[in-house]
Amino acid sequence: MGQREQATDGEVVRAVLAGDVEQYAVLVHRYRDRYARFAARMLGSLDAAEDAVQDAFVRAFDQLAQCREPAKFAGWLFLILRNRCFAEQRRRTREGRGLEATDEAIAGPDRPDGNVEQIEQAHALERALVDLTPEQREVFVLKHVEGLAYDEIAGMTGATVASLKMRMHRAYDRLRELLKEHT
Amino acid sequence: MTKTYHPSVKRLLDGELSLSDLPLELRGEGAEALRLLGAVDRAPVALSAQFEARVMTEVRRRAGSPMRRFWRGLVEPRDIELRLRLRPGIVWGAALAAAAALALLLTRPSQAPEGARPVRLAARDSVYVRFVLYAPTARRVAVAGTFNQWDQNASPLARVGGGGVWAITLALPQGHHQYAFVVDGGQWVPDPAAPGVDDGFGRRNSMVAVTARGARIL
Repeated sequence: MGQREQATDGEVVRAVLAGDVEQYAVLVHRYRDRYARFAARMLGSLDAAEDAVQDAFVRAFDQLAQCREPAKFAGWLFLILRNRCFAEQRRRTREGRGLEATDEAIAGPDRPDGNVEQIEQAHALERALVDLTPEQREVFVLKHVEGLAYDEIAGMTGATVASLKMRMHRAYDRLRELLKEHT
Repeated sequence: MTKTYHPSVKRLLDGELSLSDLPLELRGEGAEALRLLGAVDRAPVALSAQFEARVMTEVRRRAGSPMRRFWRGLVEPRDIELRLRLRPGIVWGAALAAAAALALLLTRPSQAPEGARPVRLAARDSVYVRFVLYAPTARRVAVAGTFNQWDQNASPLARVGGGGVWAITLALPQGHHQYAFVVDGGQWVPDPAAPGVDDGFGRRNSMVAVTARGARIL
Protein backbone atom coordinates (compact mmCIF):
# COMPACT_ATOMS: atom_id res chain seq x y z
CA MET A 1 0.00 0.00 0.00
CA GLY A 2 1.41 3.36 -0.96
CA GLN A 3 2.12 6.20 1.39
CA ARG A 4 -0.73 8.21 -0.10
CA GLU A 5 -3.22 5.47 0.66
CA GLN A 6 -2.04 5.32 4.27
CA ALA A 7 -2.59 9.02 4.90
CA THR A 8 -5.50 9.90 7.12
CA ASP A 9 -8.48 11.75 5.69
CA GLY A 10 -7.41 14.87 7.57
CA GLU A 11 -3.92 14.75 6.08
CA VAL A 12 -5.28 14.25 2.57
CA VAL A 13 -7.82 17.06 2.89
CA ARG A 14 -5.14 19.47 4.10
CA ALA A 15 -2.84 18.46 1.26
CA VAL A 16 -5.58 19.12 -1.29
CA LEU A 17 -6.36 22.48 0.28
CA ALA A 18 -2.69 23.34 0.11
CA GLY A 19 -2.83 22.81 -3.65
CA ASP A 20 -2.00 19.13 -4.20
CA VAL A 21 -5.16 18.40 -6.17
CA GLU A 22 -4.05 14.90 -7.19
CA GLN A 23 -4.30 13.79 -3.57
CA TYR A 24 -8.07 14.05 -3.91
CA ALA A 25 -7.95 10.77 -5.86
CA VAL A 26 -7.10 9.06 -2.57
CA LEU A 27 -10.43 10.15 -1.11
CA VAL A 28 -12.32 9.24 -4.28
CA HIS A 29 -10.79 5.77 -4.27
CA ARG A 30 -11.37 5.35 -0.55
CA TYR A 31 -15.06 6.30 -0.53
CA ARG A 32 -16.34 5.70 -4.07
CA ASP A 33 -18.21 2.53 -3.16
CA ARG A 34 -19.10 3.24 0.46
CA TYR A 35 -22.21 5.23 -0.34
CA ALA A 36 -23.00 3.84 -3.80
CA ARG A 37 -25.57 1.41 -2.44
CA PHE A 38 -27.21 4.14 -0.38
CA ALA A 39 -27.51 6.35 -3.47
CA ALA A 40 -28.80 3.48 -5.62
CA ARG A 41 -31.52 2.63 -3.12
CA MET A 42 -32.39 6.30 -2.62
CA LEU A 43 -32.68 7.02 -6.33
CA GLY A 44 -33.84 3.62 -7.61
CA SER A 45 -31.27 3.53 -10.37
CA LEU A 46 -27.59 2.68 -10.63
CA ASP A 47 -27.01 5.33 -13.31
CA ALA A 48 -28.63 8.02 -11.17
CA ALA A 49 -26.62 6.80 -8.18
CA GLU A 50 -23.34 7.05 -10.08
CA ASP A 51 -24.19 10.60 -11.20
CA ALA A 52 -25.12 11.54 -7.63
CA VAL A 53 -21.95 10.12 -6.09
CA GLN A 54 -19.85 11.85 -8.75
CA ASP A 55 -21.60 15.16 -8.14
CA ALA A 56 -21.10 14.74 -4.41
CA PHE A 57 -17.35 14.25 -4.81
CA VAL A 58 -17.06 17.26 -7.10
CA ARG A 59 -19.15 19.44 -4.82
CA ALA A 60 -17.11 18.29 -1.83
CA PHE A 61 -13.96 19.35 -3.67
CA ASP A 62 -15.47 22.75 -4.48
CA GLN A 63 -16.37 23.30 -0.83
CA LEU A 64 -13.45 21.54 0.79
CA ALA A 65 -12.35 24.72 2.55
CA GLN A 66 -15.63 24.60 4.47
CA CYS A 67 -14.99 21.08 5.78
CA ARG A 68 -14.65 21.88 9.46
CA GLU A 69 -13.35 18.52 10.52
CA PRO A 70 -11.17 17.08 7.76
CA ALA A 71 -10.77 13.88 9.76
CA LYS A 72 -14.51 13.36 9.34
CA PHE A 73 -14.51 13.82 5.58
CA ALA A 74 -16.57 10.65 5.05
CA GLY A 75 -19.47 11.89 7.16
CA TRP A 76 -19.32 15.28 5.50
CA LEU A 77 -19.35 13.67 2.06
CA PHE A 78 -22.39 11.65 3.11
CA LEU A 79 -24.28 14.85 3.97
CA ILE A 80 -23.49 16.26 0.54
CA LEU A 81 -24.64 13.07 -1.18
CA ARG A 82 -27.78 12.96 0.93
CA ASN A 83 -28.67 16.53 -0.05
CA ARG A 84 -27.99 15.64 -3.68
CA CYS A 85 -30.36 12.66 -3.49
CA PHE A 86 -33.08 14.76 -1.88
CA ALA A 87 -32.63 17.47 -4.51
CA GLU A 88 -32.88 14.90 -7.28
CA GLN A 89 -36.22 13.68 -6.02
CA ARG A 90 -37.55 17.22 -5.57
CA ARG A 91 -36.46 18.03 -9.11
CA ARG A 92 -38.19 14.99 -10.53
CA THR A 93 -41.33 15.73 -8.53
CA ARG A 94 -41.38 19.31 -9.85
CA GLU A 95 -41.03 17.96 -13.37
CA GLY A 96 -43.94 15.63 -12.76
CA ARG A 97 -41.92 12.43 -12.93
CA GLY A 98 -41.16 10.53 -9.82
CA LEU A 99 -38.31 8.17 -9.17
CA GLU A 100 -38.56 4.83 -10.83
CA ALA A 101 -36.86 1.68 -9.62
CA THR A 102 -34.92 0.17 -12.49
CA ASP A 103 -33.83 -3.41 -12.67
CA GLU A 104 -30.11 -2.75 -12.62
CA ALA A 105 -30.33 -1.08 -9.23
CA ILE A 106 -31.94 -4.01 -7.52
CA ALA A 107 -31.74 -7.76 -7.17
CA GLY A 108 -31.13 -9.30 -10.56
CA PRO A 109 -32.38 -12.64 -11.86
CA ASP A 110 -28.85 -14.00 -11.62
CA ARG A 111 -28.54 -13.16 -7.95
CA PRO A 112 -27.09 -16.38 -6.61
CA ASP A 113 -28.89 -16.40 -3.28
CA GLY A 114 -32.37 -15.63 -4.56
CA ASN A 115 -35.25 -17.67 -5.90
CA VAL A 116 -37.90 -16.24 -8.20
CA GLU A 117 -40.30 -15.41 -5.39
CA GLN A 118 -37.62 -13.61 -3.38
CA ILE A 119 -36.56 -11.65 -6.43
CA GLU A 120 -40.14 -10.63 -7.15
CA GLN A 121 -40.53 -9.52 -3.53
CA ALA A 122 -37.31 -7.54 -3.78
CA HIS A 123 -38.55 -5.81 -6.93
CA ALA A 124 -41.88 -5.03 -5.32
CA LEU A 125 -40.15 -3.56 -2.29
CA GLU A 126 -37.83 -1.45 -4.43
CA ARG A 127 -40.78 -0.08 -6.37
CA ALA A 128 -42.52 0.71 -3.09
CA LEU A 129 -39.41 2.38 -1.64
CA VAL A 130 -39.31 5.01 -4.37
CA ASP A 131 -42.88 6.00 -3.46
CA LEU A 132 -41.88 6.92 0.09
CA THR A 133 -40.95 10.48 0.96
CA PRO A 134 -37.18 11.08 0.68
CA GLU A 135 -36.91 11.34 4.47
CA GLN A 136 -38.78 8.07 5.01
CA ARG A 137 -36.77 6.32 2.33
CA GLU A 138 -33.51 7.60 3.80
CA VAL A 139 -34.16 6.22 7.26
CA PHE A 140 -35.36 2.90 5.84
CA VAL A 141 -32.29 2.53 3.62
CA LEU A 142 -29.85 3.51 6.35
CA LYS A 143 -31.39 1.15 8.89
CA HIS A 144 -32.42 -1.85 6.85
CA VAL A 145 -30.04 -1.74 3.87
CA GLU A 146 -26.95 -0.22 5.46
CA GLY A 147 -27.65 -1.88 8.81
CA LEU A 148 -27.17 1.20 10.99
CA ALA A 149 -28.73 1.75 14.40
CA TYR A 150 -31.00 4.71 15.06
CA ASP A 151 -28.36 6.52 17.10
CA GLU A 152 -25.82 6.08 14.32
CA ILE A 153 -28.30 7.50 11.80
CA ALA A 154 -28.99 10.38 14.16
CA GLY A 155 -25.27 11.11 14.31
CA MET A 156 -25.00 11.13 10.53
CA THR A 157 -28.11 13.15 9.72
CA GLY A 158 -28.53 15.43 12.73
CA ALA A 159 -32.10 14.22 13.32
CA THR A 160 -33.20 12.99 16.74
CA VAL A 161 -33.76 9.30 17.38
CA ALA A 162 -37.41 10.02 18.20
CA SER A 163 -38.05 11.77 14.90
CA LEU A 164 -36.23 9.03 13.01
CA LYS A 165 -38.41 6.39 14.63
CA MET A 166 -41.53 8.35 13.76
CA ARG A 167 -40.42 8.57 10.13
CA MET A 168 -39.60 4.90 10.05
CA HIS A 169 -42.90 3.82 11.57
CA ARG A 170 -44.78 5.88 9.01
CA ALA A 171 -42.62 4.28 6.34
CA TYR A 172 -43.57 0.80 7.57
CA ASP A 173 -47.26 1.63 7.26
CA ARG A 174 -46.82 3.22 3.86
CA LEU A 175 -44.80 0.26 2.60
CA ARG A 176 -47.47 -2.12 3.79
CA GLU A 177 -50.05 -0.11 1.88
CA LEU A 178 -47.92 0.12 -1.27
CA LEU A 179 -47.04 -3.56 -1.27
CA LYS A 180 -50.74 -4.43 -1.08
CA GLU A 181 -51.27 -2.20 -4.13
CA HIS A 182 -48.37 -3.75 -6.03
CA THR A 183 -49.44 -7.34 -5.39
CA MET B 1 -57.88 0.55 3.30
CA THR B 2 -54.80 -1.24 4.60
CA LYS B 3 -54.45 -1.37 8.33
CA THR B 4 -51.38 0.15 9.84
CA TYR B 5 -48.96 -2.10 11.66
CA HIS B 6 -49.52 -2.56 15.36
CA PRO B 7 -46.97 -0.54 17.42
CA SER B 8 -45.50 -3.77 18.76
CA VAL B 9 -44.99 -5.04 15.21
CA LYS B 10 -43.15 -1.82 14.40
CA ARG B 11 -40.90 -2.49 17.36
CA LEU B 12 -40.38 -5.97 15.96
CA LEU B 13 -39.27 -4.42 12.66
CA ASP B 14 -37.00 -2.05 14.57
CA GLY B 15 -35.32 -5.05 16.15
CA GLU B 16 -36.48 -4.16 19.66
CA LEU B 17 -38.71 -7.23 19.98
CA SER B 18 -38.58 -10.74 18.61
CA LEU B 19 -41.52 -12.60 17.10
CA SER B 20 -41.87 -14.69 20.24
CA ASP B 21 -42.23 -11.49 22.30
CA LEU B 22 -45.46 -10.66 20.48
CA PRO B 23 -48.81 -11.86 21.80
CA LEU B 24 -50.20 -14.74 19.79
CA GLU B 25 -52.78 -12.59 18.01
CA LEU B 26 -50.04 -10.36 16.58
CA ARG B 27 -47.64 -13.05 15.39
CA GLY B 28 -49.28 -13.41 11.98
CA GLU B 29 -48.97 -9.70 11.37
CA GLY B 30 -45.43 -9.83 12.71
CA ALA B 31 -44.48 -12.65 10.35
CA GLU B 32 -45.91 -10.70 7.41
CA ALA B 33 -43.91 -7.65 8.44
CA LEU B 34 -40.70 -9.66 8.70
CA ARG B 35 -41.22 -10.95 5.16
CA LEU B 36 -41.08 -7.30 4.10
CA LEU B 37 -37.64 -6.95 5.63
CA GLY B 38 -36.61 -10.28 4.16
CA ALA B 39 -37.09 -8.78 0.71
CA VAL B 40 -34.58 -6.00 1.34
CA ASP B 41 -31.73 -6.19 -1.16
CA ARG B 42 -28.43 -5.59 0.63
CA ALA B 43 -26.22 -6.62 -2.27
CA PRO B 44 -23.25 -4.28 -2.79
CA VAL B 45 -23.44 -1.80 -5.62
CA ALA B 46 -20.34 -1.27 -7.75
CA LEU B 47 -19.71 1.92 -9.65
CA SER B 48 -18.13 1.79 -13.09
CA ALA B 49 -14.39 1.36 -13.54
CA GLN B 50 -14.13 4.83 -15.09
CA PHE B 51 -15.73 6.53 -12.11
CA GLU B 52 -12.54 7.79 -10.46
CA ALA B 53 -11.10 9.05 -13.72
CA ARG B 54 -14.28 11.01 -14.45
CA VAL B 55 -14.31 12.60 -11.00
CA MET B 56 -10.64 13.57 -11.18
CA THR B 57 -11.03 15.04 -14.67
CA GLU B 58 -13.76 17.32 -13.34
CA VAL B 59 -11.77 18.10 -10.20
CA ARG B 60 -8.69 19.10 -12.21
CA ARG B 61 -10.84 21.29 -14.44
CA ARG B 62 -12.30 23.05 -11.44
CA ALA B 63 -8.95 23.36 -9.70
CA GLY B 64 -7.76 25.47 -12.61
CA SER B 65 -10.80 27.75 -12.66
CA PRO B 66 -10.32 31.45 -11.87
CA MET B 67 -12.81 31.25 -8.98
CA ARG B 68 -10.87 28.42 -7.36
CA ARG B 69 -7.59 30.30 -7.72
CA PHE B 70 -9.25 33.37 -6.20
CA TRP B 71 -10.53 31.35 -3.25
CA ARG B 72 -7.17 29.70 -2.71
CA GLY B 73 -5.58 33.09 -2.80
CA LEU B 74 -7.76 34.05 0.13
CA VAL B 75 -7.24 31.02 2.30
CA GLU B 76 -3.82 29.71 1.38
CA PRO B 77 -1.13 30.65 3.90
CA ARG B 78 1.57 32.92 2.57
CA ASP B 79 4.65 33.71 4.61
CA ILE B 80 5.36 37.35 5.32
CA GLU B 81 6.93 39.00 8.25
CA LEU B 82 4.93 41.24 10.50
CA ARG B 83 5.19 42.34 14.06
CA LEU B 84 2.57 41.75 16.68
CA ARG B 85 1.69 44.70 18.82
CA LEU B 86 -1.34 44.54 21.04
CA ARG B 87 -2.59 47.99 21.84
CA PRO B 88 -4.43 48.72 25.05
CA GLY B 89 -8.13 49.18 24.55
CA ILE B 90 -8.36 47.36 21.29
CA VAL B 91 -10.82 44.86 22.65
CA TRP B 92 -14.23 46.35 22.58
CA GLY B 93 -15.81 46.60 25.99
CA ALA B 94 -19.10 45.41 24.64
CA ALA B 95 -17.47 42.28 23.38
CA LEU B 96 -16.30 41.37 26.83
CA ALA B 97 -19.69 42.10 28.31
CA ALA B 98 -21.45 39.89 25.84
CA ALA B 99 -21.56 36.13 26.12
CA ALA B 100 -19.03 36.01 23.35
CA ALA B 101 -17.80 38.29 20.67
CA LEU B 102 -15.42 38.80 17.87
CA ALA B 103 -13.31 41.90 18.29
CA LEU B 104 -11.98 43.40 15.16
CA LEU B 105 -8.79 45.34 15.15
CA LEU B 106 -9.00 47.84 12.42
CA THR B 107 -5.30 48.49 12.26
CA ARG B 108 -2.95 47.34 9.61
CA PRO B 109 0.45 45.97 10.62
CA SER B 110 2.66 48.88 11.60
CA GLN B 111 5.95 49.62 13.29
CA ALA B 112 6.95 47.31 16.09
CA PRO B 113 7.36 48.44 19.65
CA GLU B 114 10.79 48.23 21.09
CA GLY B 115 11.65 44.70 22.02
CA ALA B 116 8.85 43.11 20.07
CA ARG B 117 9.92 39.97 18.30
CA PRO B 118 8.84 39.50 14.73
CA VAL B 119 6.61 36.51 14.18
CA ARG B 120 5.61 34.87 10.97
CA LEU B 121 1.94 35.00 10.18
CA ALA B 122 -0.15 34.60 7.09
CA ALA B 123 -0.88 37.02 4.27
CA ARG B 124 0.56 40.30 3.11
CA ASP B 125 -2.56 42.47 3.31
CA SER B 126 -3.52 41.32 6.74
CA VAL B 127 -5.79 42.90 9.29
CA TYR B 128 -5.56 42.02 12.94
CA VAL B 129 -8.72 40.32 14.12
CA ARG B 130 -9.22 39.51 17.78
CA PHE B 131 -11.44 36.59 18.62
CA VAL B 132 -12.94 36.66 22.10
CA LEU B 133 -15.11 34.03 23.74
CA TYR B 134 -16.59 34.06 27.21
CA ALA B 135 -16.45 30.46 28.35
CA PRO B 136 -15.82 30.28 32.10
CA THR B 137 -16.09 26.48 32.37
CA ALA B 138 -13.96 25.67 29.34
CA ARG B 139 -10.59 23.99 29.71
CA ARG B 140 -9.48 24.67 26.14
CA VAL B 141 -10.77 27.01 23.46
CA ALA B 142 -9.58 27.34 19.87
CA VAL B 143 -10.85 29.09 16.79
CA ALA B 144 -11.01 27.16 13.55
CA GLY B 145 -12.04 28.48 10.19
CA THR B 146 -11.32 28.78 6.52
CA PHE B 147 -8.23 30.85 7.39
CA ASN B 148 -6.54 27.88 9.11
CA GLN B 149 -8.23 25.10 7.14
CA TRP B 150 -10.48 24.30 10.10
CA ASP B 151 -7.52 23.04 12.08
CA GLN B 152 -8.67 22.79 15.71
CA ASN B 153 -5.09 22.98 16.98
CA ALA B 154 -3.79 25.85 14.90
CA SER B 155 -5.20 28.82 16.82
CA PRO B 156 -5.74 28.18 20.54
CA LEU B 157 -7.19 31.03 22.56
CA ALA B 158 -5.50 32.09 25.80
CA ARG B 159 -7.23 32.97 29.05
CA VAL B 160 -7.49 36.70 29.66
CA GLY B 161 -7.47 37.26 33.43
CA GLY B 162 -9.53 35.01 35.63
CA GLY B 163 -13.02 35.91 34.43
CA GLY B 164 -13.59 33.19 31.90
CA VAL B 165 -12.64 35.28 28.88
CA TRP B 166 -10.51 33.64 26.18
CA ALA B 167 -8.90 35.55 23.33
CA ILE B 168 -6.50 35.36 20.43
CA THR B 169 -5.41 37.90 17.86
CA LEU B 170 -4.83 36.67 14.34
CA ALA B 171 -3.70 38.43 11.21
CA LEU B 172 -6.21 37.47 8.55
CA PRO B 173 -5.90 38.07 4.84
CA GLN B 174 -8.53 40.20 3.16
CA GLY B 175 -11.64 38.33 2.17
CA HIS B 176 -14.52 36.50 3.77
CA HIS B 177 -13.71 33.91 6.41
CA GLN B 178 -16.02 31.41 8.06
CA TYR B 179 -15.11 30.29 11.54
CA ALA B 180 -16.35 28.70 14.75
CA PHE B 181 -14.94 28.23 18.22
CA VAL B 182 -13.97 24.76 19.39
CA VAL B 183 -14.43 24.27 23.12
CA ASP B 184 -12.64 21.46 24.94
CA GLY B 185 -11.56 19.87 21.70
CA GLY B 186 -14.95 18.77 20.46
CA GLN B 187 -17.77 21.23 20.93
CA TRP B 188 -18.25 23.52 17.95
CA VAL B 189 -19.67 26.89 18.96
CA PRO B 190 -20.59 29.51 16.39
CA ASP B 191 -19.88 33.03 17.61
CA PRO B 192 -23.02 34.09 19.52
CA ALA B 193 -22.20 37.70 18.70
CA ALA B 194 -22.35 37.03 14.96
CA PRO B 195 -25.49 36.16 13.00
CA GLY B 196 -23.84 33.17 11.36
CA VAL B 197 -24.35 31.49 8.03
CA ASP B 198 -25.63 28.07 7.14
CA ASP B 199 -22.72 25.96 5.93
CA GLY B 200 -25.09 24.09 3.61
CA PHE B 201 -25.00 20.95 5.72
CA GLY B 202 -27.25 21.89 8.61
CA ARG B 203 -24.68 23.60 10.80
CA ARG B 204 -23.95 27.26 11.49
CA ASN B 205 -20.67 29.00 10.93
CA SER B 206 -19.84 32.57 11.81
CA MET B 207 -18.52 34.87 9.12
CA VAL B 208 -16.10 37.77 9.17
CA ALA B 209 -15.36 40.05 6.23
CA VAL B 210 -11.83 41.47 6.22
CA THR B 211 -11.09 44.44 3.97
CA ALA B 212 -8.30 46.99 3.73
CA ARG B 213 -10.43 49.31 5.88
CA GLY B 214 -10.95 46.80 8.65
CA ALA B 215 -13.21 43.90 9.41
CA ARG B 216 -16.79 43.26 10.34
CA ILE B 217 -18.81 40.25 11.29
CA LEU B 218 -21.58 39.21 8.91
